[in-house]
Amino acid sequence: MSTIVETINVAREVAWLPWAVQYFFLIGLSYGAFLLSLPGVALRKPGWEVISRLALLAALVCGLSAPVALLADLHQPGRFWHFYAYFSPKSWMSWGSFFIPVYLTGLILYAWLAFRPLLQQHADENGRFATVARWIALGGHESRGPLLMAAALALIGAVLVALYTGVEVMVVRARPLWHTPLLPLQFVITSLGGAAGLTLLFNRFGPSRDDAAINRRLAHTVAWMQLASLLLGGVWLALGLSGISPIHAEALAEVGGSNNWQMAAAWAVVVTAITWWLGWKRPNSSLLLALLALHSAWMIRWAIFIGGQEVPKTGAGYYSYQLPLGPEGLLGIIGTAGLWVFLFIVITYVLPLDRIGRPTPAKA
Amino acid sequence: MKHSPSPTPAGGAAPSASRRNFLRGIPVITAAAATVPTSAMAETSKHHWGMLVDVRKCIGCQACTVSCIQENVVPEGSFRTVVSTYSVKVKDSVQPAGTYVLPRLCNHCDEPPCVPVCPVSATYKRADGIVVVNNERCVGCAYCVQACPYDARFINHETNKADKCTFCAHRVEAGLLPACVETCVGGARIFGDLNDPNGVLRQQLDANKDKLKVLKPEQGTKPQVYYIGLDERFTGKVEGQGTLWKPRATHG
Amino acid sequence: MKKLERRDLIAAGGLAAFGAGFSQTLGRMAEGVLGEQPERHFEHGRSPEPEFSVDPATGALKMNPKQQVSYTVCQGCTTLCGVRVRIDKESGQVIRVTGNPYNPLSTDPHLPMKAPFKESLISVSAFKNKGLGGRSTACGRGNAAMDQMNSPFRVLTPLKRVGPRNGGRWEPISFEQLVKEVTEGGDLFGEGHVDGLAKLRDLKTPIDPNAPELGAKVNQVGVVMSVNDGRDFFSQRFWKQSFGTLNYVGHGSYCGGAYRSGSGALFGDMKAMPHGKVDFANAEFAMFVGTAPANAGNPFKRSGALVAKARAQGVLDYVVVDPVLTNADNRAVPTRSHWVPIRPSTDGALAMGIMRWMFDNNKVNTAYLAFPNQEAAKAGGEPSFTNASWLVIAEKGHPRFGRFVRGTDLGLVELTDEERYKEKDPYYVLGADGALADAGTYMGAAQLEATQPLTIGEKQVAIKTAYQLLRESAQKMTVKQASDITGIPVDVINGLATELTSHGRKACVVSHGGMMGGNGFYNAYALMTLNALIGSLNYKGGFAFNAGGFRDANPGPRYNLATFEGEIKPKGIPLGRNVPYERTSEFKKRKEAGEKPYPARDQWFPNAPGLATEWFTAALNGYPYNLKALVLWSANPIYGIPGLRPLIDEQLKDPKKLPLIIAIDPLINESSAYADYIVPDSVMYESWGWVAPWAGVPTKTMAARWPVVEPKAEKTPEGIAIGMESFLIAVAKKLNLPGFGPAGLTDKDGNPVPLERPEDWYLRGGANVAFAGKEPVGDATDEDIQLSGVERILPLIKSTVKEDEWRKVAFLYTRGGRYQPLNQSQDETNPDWQTWKFEKALWLWNDNLAGAKNSLTGKPYSGCATWTPPAFCDGTPMRDVYKPQDWPLTLISFKSPLQNSYSIATRITGVHPDNPAIVHPQDAERAGLRTGDVAKLQTPGGEAKCTVIVHEGVVPGTVAIEHGYGHKELGARAHTLGGQRQPDRPDLRAGININDIGLQDPTRGGKHIWVDSVSGTSVRNGLPARIRRA
Ligand SMILES: Nc1nc2c(c(=O)[nH]1)N[C@H]1C(S)=C(S)[C@@H](COP(=O)(O)OP(=O)(O)OC[C@H]3O[C@@H](n4cnc5c(=O)[nH]c(N)nc54)[C@H](O)[C@@H]3O)O[C@H]1N2
Ligand SMILES: Nc1nc2c(c(=O)[nH]1)N[C@H]1C(S)=C(S)[C@@H](COP(=O)(O)OP(=O)(O)OC[C@H]3O[C@@H](n4cnc5c(=O)[nH]c(N)nc54)[C@H](O)[C@@H]3O)O[C@H]1N2
Ligand code: SF4
Ligand code: SF4
Ligand code: SF4
Ligand code: SF4
Ligand code: SF4
Ligand SMILES: [Mo]
Repeated sequence: MSTIVETINVAREVAWLPWAVQYFFLIGLSYGAFLLSLPGVALRKPGWEVISRLALLAALVCGLSAPVALLADLHQPGRFWHFYAYFSPKSWMSWGSFFIPVYLTGLILYAWLAFRPLLQQHADENGRFATVARWIALGGHESRGPLLMAAALALIGAVLVALYTGVEVMVVRARPLWHTPLLPLQFVITSLGGAAGLTLLFNRFGPSRDDAAINRRLAHTVAWMQLASLLLGGVWLALGLSGISPIHAEALAEVGGSNNWQMAAAWAVVVTAITWWLGWKRPNSSLLLALLALHSAWMIRWAIFIGGQEVPKTGAGYYSYQLPLGPEGLLGIIGTAGLWVFLFIVITYVLPLDRIGRPTPAKA
Repeated sequence: MKHSPSPTPAGGAAPSASRRNFLRGIPVITAAAATVPTSAMAETSKHHWGMLVDVRKCIGCQACTVSCIQENVVPEGSFRTVVSTYSVKVKDSVQPAGTYVLPRLCNHCDEPPCVPVCPVSATYKRADGIVVVNNERCVGCAYCVQACPYDARFINHETNKADKCTFCAHRVEAGLLPACVETCVGGARIFGDLNDPNGVLRQQLDANKDKLKVLKPEQGTKPQVYYIGLDERFTGKVEGQGTLWKPRATHG
Repeated sequence: MKKLERRDLIAAGGLAAFGAGFSQTLGRMAEGVLGEQPERHFEHGRSPEPEFSVDPATGALKMNPKQQVSYTVCQGCTTLCGVRVRIDKESGQVIRVTGNPYNPLSTDPHLPMKAPFKESLISVSAFKNKGLGGRSTACGRGNAAMDQMNSPFRVLTPLKRVGPRNGGRWEPISFEQLVKEVTEGGDLFGEGHVDGLAKLRDLKTPIDPNAPELGAKVNQVGVVMSVNDGRDFFSQRFWKQSFGTLNYVGHGSYCGGAYRSGSGALFGDMKAMPHGKVDFANAEFAMFVGTAPANAGNPFKRSGALVAKARAQGVLDYVVVDPVLTNADNRAVPTRSHWVPIRPSTDGALAMGIMRWMFDNNKVNTAYLAFPNQEAAKAGGEPSFTNASWLVIAEKGHPRFGRFVRGTDLGLVELTDEERYKEKDPYYVLGADGALADAGTYMGAAQLEATQPLTIGEKQVAIKTAYQLLRESAQKMTVKQASDITGIPVDVINGLATELTSHGRKACVVSHGGMMGGNGFYNAYALMTLNALIGSLNYKGGFAFNAGGFRDANPGPRYNLATFEGEIKPKGIPLGRNVPYERTSEFKKRKEAGEKPYPARDQWFPNAPGLATEWFTAALNGYPYNLKALVLWSANPIYGIPGLRPLIDEQLKDPKKLPLIIAIDPLINESSAYADYIVPDSVMYESWGWVAPWAGVPTKTMAARWPVVEPKAEKTPEGIAIGMESFLIAVAKKLNLPGFGPAGLTDKDGNPVPLERPEDWYLRGGANVAFAGKEPVGDATDEDIQLSGVERILPLIKSTVKEDEWRKVAFLYTRGGRYQPLNQSQDETNPDWQTWKFEKALWLWNDNLAGAKNSLTGKPYSGCATWTPPAFCDGTPMRDVYKPQDWPLTLISFKSPLQNSYSIATRITGVHPDNPAIVHPQDAERAGLRTGDVAKLQTPGGEAKCTVIVHEGVVPGTVAIEHGYGHKELGARAHTLGGQRQPDRPDLRAGININDIGLQDPTRGGKHIWVDSVSGTSVRNGLPARIRRA
């Protein structure tokens, strides 16, 4: 029985909508997948080729859909150009609006350069949309130097994006749950785990689906990230419980009492643990593993963004968020998923998964 | 037998100890974390607008809430100000519970965390202390909504921009009082110029120095809305059973 | 290929989902490109331009030519505060409403009337911080009420029912058709013939030839109205004086009637029922028992403002004795504000316990009580007096047992039978010397004890003083017993008694709605008696009396609005049986036949005013007689009276039981939903009227209502907006009734003037207000008229009143009324006394009460304050019928601090959407309930589903429901008007109304609702109940 009962107060609505969750999820997957693309594509590490190419596809699809979700989270999307007209150096979001194009420019260039030969192959084999593929391939030359330069640009962009997406949220002191130095790390780790999961998923539908080495490598990446995630969570909890870090204690105190949040946290821990165990012990259960990894990455963002906004800053108790059915809720989530699927299919029209996922025959 | 304590000046004084013995033991709000308002702001403006809320005088009538809505055409379900109302269990007293009311609005912070986050500098603190949103520039990203520690901002679903208390700048500029102050039934809301040493606001603040508090002082936001009678349990996020209120409709 | 096709489909699906999901975004982007609607100002957003501006340096006022600012009256609740309405001239829409600084209900201290209109605006501005001290306000509801003007549920044309009653279907009809049908009658609904008002106005034929005392058939037309909103005298003129029915009743009996009757018993007038209030500005200690200042109470806003000021800046300590914690309490002033929880309907025990303590501890102010009349009291330095010393016949079996000793009893005066025991028949006291003395003229302190018998009619008759009788009653209760009954600790009762008697005259006890229980009358009488025992009436800081208004409907000074040629004085027995049963033919016949006259066929209420609570069952059961037509004018008894709807719903739907129901109302409420015809009425700022505050203002106050905006309703053929007045004028014309028409009124010289439009009445009433008293008000200047929007009605004023009157009448409208200056609150001769005093006796013993009998049992009532547990009409305690083991809880309602019974303001429900039942943690635990759960709330009268909120703000064993929710009408149901269906608004149905599960009285055959047996008032507090999870 509480000693204080709020008899009149009003709830503040969630102001960052599920769109925002989608954005942070997709952009995280994108930069995570981009990082996974580097060993095989940019560095040509043996055994990574297929993984990295699939990851690059993932980075591209996610990277292209993410800003659209971000745009939709603006209540004045038509004014997006204000970001560029009124640069505001104190605002991480303002910086972010410059980082995103850097990253995407780098990524698109890098992907194009990386996929040009494959596009050309597709065109040559006269597959569907071969004309388009040929047109995009622009000759299909391999150009290592520019590729590395583009990769470097994208890498800078990715780091900045990873940084800003984390810090932008972290600086919000008004929300203790967000305002923890661990948060950016948590975002990065779960991005990588999710990206590995998505790559695994792609592979599942590609020609290397039964390649145990690929699956194991990805499964282990997922597992490592889950483990890191669990450890981070443990540190977070320990800091909060011990009171060593007031910031974490406050964050914990803020959400600790919420049933919704307790459930979500317990769920996250259990799922993460299962995913870790699966990744480690059952690397071949790729579909389940992939989905679980993606789920973890999405869940943590949902819990942080939506869950975090369910905590009144001044009022008592919690606001209970109910997912609206319209564009500000479910339809918005379905909409981004639709866009993602559409982009995936359009890209794979000109560059079928079969081709991306097929290792280039070793040059004899 | 006749008992007539001398009238106490504005702000009141504790009633004589001879009284109230039958209901004794009621814990009195202890003074802590009292913040004295910063004296005059840098001389960039003649005025520095601020508010004092004397909780002792608030009757929870929500006249402020509704007048603000009417004056500022605030959409249904949204609020620039509201008076949170609580039933508080009282310990060590015959009285088992009491009512606590707390008018809330934008604090027009001198260090407003809502301002630096804005990606397009659409929100700023005017020279006269009023924190506003330039609605011609705001992109509706709601970052400021997240950054305000007081839940004082929201996205207006009719304009799709950030919205908040403006201290009724349009009225203040016309030499009038903000709507919520004008219609405050209990006379709890006192508005004025912090820079005017003879103004009622400044005088009340000075006279009640030891009673003054602000919300969430630890956030370092330097609120310019001061309270008399602010119970410590209510300065931050309130620990207790939350409201049953639910947003009536979602907007889409 | 097949696989690819599927992919195509998926891609298309994805694209479609994207399109749908992003439609809003795309729309907003397009809007951005195509140019959205700009806001008014880049920083001020959509806030409209201010109505005026005041230069901070010079104080110069500049009006905004696009807006109008006018003073009129709020009707957001029965407080009827003066308000300032701000209107956009171009659209005619109200922008915002706040207080009128001249009006004491909105401002403290209020502005003197001589201040020009212009100055009144400056007084609320920031100029020199004036507006902080001169703050003039409207409450939350008052701020929200303006939305009612544009409510989609307003009735704007006359409506006639289609299909069965309460079916929710209507057809708009013309005004002419309306007037024709209701006056002429006919087969109006294809259900058979219905008599019209013409036929029903039968002033000669008795209702029942065997019971001529019932009166003529015209009494079978009954009118239920709510409260005087400033237009009641007009309505009364029509229905009572002109049409001629006796049956015209307000909402008093289901408002706070029990309190007012109990108070009336002390003030010696149970029909007008005077009552006092706390003088907040000067009081040191006040007990609010069953009324909660700042939560509700009348005047709501003024009490709220004053209690806030008094607890923060003044010297007031106050205690609210109430089963529920309300907004009357404030934890920021814990040493000034106190809540003492009490079990419902036990206040009489508390009062008697305090009284016992006072007698035991010699804290009764006997010096004051000893003065037998006002002259003696004043000479002794007291502004009021009581009948404590008056002698009462105490001889058991004496025919006048319990009655005062009167001059004719002693043979000391000779009077006709008519005059006997009335005013001219003196009362007696024992003088200081022990000799019998005329109470009305004895100049000194009389004895408070009578020990010797008195010779009356040659017999030795035991006598006692009123004081002795009261003391005996108090001695029946110990503080310990009071504690057991009320649940208030002994210490606290002792403490309350100590406080009450420790502040001289700067203390008092007041009450109101909390008395609406099954023993409310005596609870109220007992509580009010405490004020007499400390002698605080008429004192500054004490029990203060209302100053009243400046009456418009008077015989003068400028126009006679009170009487007219051909005026009818209605006669008979009122429908509510609020007269002695012993005067009826029924009683006489049974007596003559040698039968026992008791029990009567049903309860009678000789000490009550008009009883709307009894009306419906009386009219439908035919005792004393049936109604042929019922008129509901802006009243909502079906929503407001506990237990009524379930009891009469079926009968009320049956046109054979009650052939004609006409509602005059701008909205379809729970009662007018049963009407056959609805006549639209004006809403708030559209209406005319003259309103005095109900109570609680120490200076004379009369607020002016006038249409500051154009009324929305359709117009009559004469071009007047349809409303109560235009409807009654048209009916009067059609029936050729006296007191209306081209020579309906007379001026001060007796010359006829017309009463053909509402203005004919209200503007001439205004002339009476302006010229009332020693000196008329001043003249409005051209500037006043121009700035205040009165310009709009100036042609009307000029063409209606005389040359020497119009500027004074205009003056009233520019100020929104007439107000006595604040500095006249206290008596000129004695600053410790109030100016407006109650100067008749306070009755510690009320022999009208003592002489009356319960007509169900024939048993007499107690003549003074006493404790009786809540009971049904024949005296059976409620708990004998509904045992605690079956009904472990009691249910009460309390006013919403935000809502009113008819506020459909969504700006209020936006903050507070419904009314969860407050359950104490102990009771919640027993029932397994937690905050937010849905529960079933049951009483013997029914069952309702409610949400539960659990906290300690309610006395254990009681469930409390905030009143003002659980509507079935006023927007909660979509009606069909012609082909048009009203919008469906589930949010307006939210919450519950305790009255839907109110009780019937098992001792009256379950055919009546539960009312207090003395005052006849509805019982909404202390209903037996239980709660369980739904
Ligand atoms: N906010 C607001 N103000 C209003 C109105 C409104 O609807 N809302 N309506 C106006 C009208 S019409 C009126 S008549 C007045 C009425 O004003 P009040 O009489 O002050 O209001 P009520 O709520 O009827 O009753 C007062 C209190 O009695 C308590 N009570 C209930 N049962 C008992 C009991 O057995 N014993 C005791 N001691 N207390 C009990 C209730 O909990 C409630 O707090 O208010 C006027 N002002
Ligand atoms: N359980 C419970 N029952 C109660 C109470 C309670 O506290 N608890 N309170 C009681 C009290 S104190 C009272 S006074 C009664 C009130 O009961 P009533 O006086 O019968 O009715 P109201 O609900 O005030 O409704 C008045 C009607 O006037 C109409 N109206 C509204 N605004 C306007 C307007 O601007 N102009 C015109 N012409 N008409 C308008 C609406 O149709 C409204 O329904 O209810 C009583 N019933
Ligand atoms: S209260 Fe919030 S919105 Fe207002 S200035 Fe401070 S941080 Fe900004
Ligand atoms: S919502 Fe508007 S004011 Fe707020 S941060 Fe975004 S752009 Fe700035
Ligand atoms: S100052 Fe104006 S905008 Fe701010 S809360 Fe008050 S009425 Fe609303
Ligand atoms: S108007 Fe004044 S008294 Fe009423 S709730 Fe608001 S702050 Fe409190
Ligand atoms: S108390 Fe409020 S709602 Fe009632 S009349 Fe006054 S301003 Fe209007
Ligand atoms: Mo009432």
